[in-house]
Amino acid sequence: MKKISFWILLLLSLLLIGIPFFALILTSVSVGWQWPNLLPDSLSFRSWDYVLRGSSGTWRAIGISLLIAFIVTIVNIVLAVPAANALVRYRIKGKWLAEAILFAPIIIPPFVSVMGIHLTFLRLGLTETVLGVVLAHLSPTLPYMVRALITSYSTLSVDWEDQARMLGAGPFQRFYAVVLPHLLPGIAAGASLSILISLSQYLITFIIGSGQVVTLPVLLFPFISGGDPAVASAYSILFAGMAILALLGMDLSLKSYYRRKKSVSVNGRGAGNDEGTSFRPN
Amino acid sequence: MKELRLDQIEKTYSKTAANKTESFGLRSIDLTIREGEFFSLLGPSGCGKTTLLKLAAGLLEPDSGKVWYGNSDLTATPPEARRFSMVFQQPLLFPHMTVADNTAFGLKMQKVGKKERLEKAEAMLDGVGLKGFYHRFPDELSGGQQQRVALARALVANPRVLLMDEPFSALDPGLREEMRELLGRIQKELGVTILFVTHDRDEAFELSDRIGIMRDGRLLQVGAGTELYEKPVSTEIAAFLGIKNIILGNIGEGRFVSADGAITMDVKNGEPEGERFLILRPEALQVADGNIQVPGDAIRIKGHVLKVKFLQGFYTAIVQAGNHELECQLFRGQSEQLEAGQQVEVFFSQCDVRFVME
Repeated sequence: MKKISFWILLLLSLLLIGIPFFALILTSVSVGWQWPNLLPDSLSFRSWDYVLRGSSGTWRAIGISLLIAFIVTIVNIVLAVPAANALVRYRIKGKWLAEAILFAPIIIPPFVSVMGIHLTFLRLGLTETVLGVVLAHLSPTLPYMVRALITSYSTLSVDWEDQARMLGAGPFQRFYAVVLPHLLPGIAAGASLSILISLSQYLITFIIGSGQVVTLPVLLFPFISGGDPAVASAYSILFAGMAILALLGMDLSLKSYYRRKKSVSVNGRGAGNDEGTSFRPN
Repeated sequence: MKELRLDQIEKTYSKTAANKTESFGLRSIDLTIREGEFFSLLGPSGCGKTTLLKLAAGLLEPDSGKVWYGNSDLTATPPEARRFSMVFQQPLLFPHMTVADNTAFGLKMQKVGKKERLEKAEAMLDGVGLKGFYHRFPDELSGGQQQRVALARALVANPRVLLMDEPFSALDPGLREEMRELLGRIQKELGVTILFVTHDRDEAFELSDRIGIMRDGRLLQVGAGTELYEKPVSTEIAAFLGIKNIILGNIGEGRFVSADGAITMDVKNGEPEGERFLILRPEALQVADGNIQVPGDAIRIKGHVLKVKFLQGFYTAIVQAGNHELECQLFRGQSEQLEAGQQVEVFFSQCDVRFVME
């Protein structure tokens, strides 16, 4: 019985995940695939040829997408660690307001804030720059990082740091030896979301970058709306591959960090830190 | 002498956000812990003993007063620079480090080389009975073993003072006793100065050279265990140490008369007059039967037995005399001759009597 339900589950997930991909792959190599044909009449690698080679700028776009996502995530970590620390541990007046502002981008559509940001960035000369796009990407991604780290911090009793203190550890050593290992699962959860959300930003990148900062979604969108489904499909596959590779890379580096720390037990203690973070497809 | 001295320490704070009105404070605490001494702070939970410990550690800052170690003023020194160690109620072993790395953590912070610090850590782990556990991770150890590692970790850095905050209260009773023994032995071996916080009387009495009894943010009495037990300065302390025979009365014209008139006795010359409490330890009070020679100068009280209790190895009789229920320790065999309702005479010797004002 258990075996059967396992196979059913496997089949179902293969269908759910596999079929769309299969369709994408098929579309990307088709020429003039029209209703009511079940399969395309003829195959061609025209779209892949366009996407991967020539002057399409795909590789550059992937590079910029990853660069932006990477910087955004680093900045998020740097901002979110002290923010989560303060929100969990200190009794501050108006804490709810700080939290509301931090989490507002989850609820308020990015379009609303981006118009104001755009105007400000125009004055500051930040539009059309990678820096501007990075700054603009912070607002939809930071809430997830803060959220993940708040969960991590709330499971870290101050006693741990007090204990390290009593053994002679200064502030930096306490953070490195006690706090960081505990936060790491939370940082990983937050970073995954941060990377994914940053990679999939179209609107913000398009408006702030004004078409000059070309990330993969910026390349991809015109083909979706412009009616070349083959190229759009090829880009979509590429996009998915990029996101998966980015996450895999992060996962691997995390695992190698743990191996270096000789740790087998952190998983047991720190797991479950990503509870409470929910992925919002963007 | 390198002693730890708390000088006029005061600290007030409101307990939690939930009950803001209830503020809590330590009132002007003076305390000296001598070098190599095992000193316990004993008191019920919420009496401020842990707060006092954290003030000594530097984890809390006093509102006023100073913390001295020898001739140096540590009040403004952060805890990591005081070279004190602390063992908490929970083992608090760093989960991502092996037992040996955990133990060597303090030495690592002191920038001791890797080889040397691991050698010292392993030697200390051997000392607490964890030979061969060096490369395990904390979650592979039992609670008692974890607390042993915590103890080894605190000791290996050669602390000037070891602070312990109810370190054994989370353990099973049997294990607790074992740990007590271990701690007592190690303390004598290493000669380390220990400030120990507990609410467990037996623990404090077994381990300590001196004990400070705390209540409601005040240090009531400091002294060796026997001194506290035999010469409590107040009924509060007597009651906390489990002495139930506390009798209100009056001293006048060389005699003590209890409020209900049931107990009267001559008092020593020079005992000041006025309202007093008479404190009688249960083992100083004996039931007179045919087999016991009652000394001539003993004070006798008549009463009847309410009940006979058995408690871990000894019998106690509750004897009603006047309005008082007196607890009275029995000798072997006496318990069988006594039953509830029986008229008895109990007696105690003049020198076992203690009078206090409050």
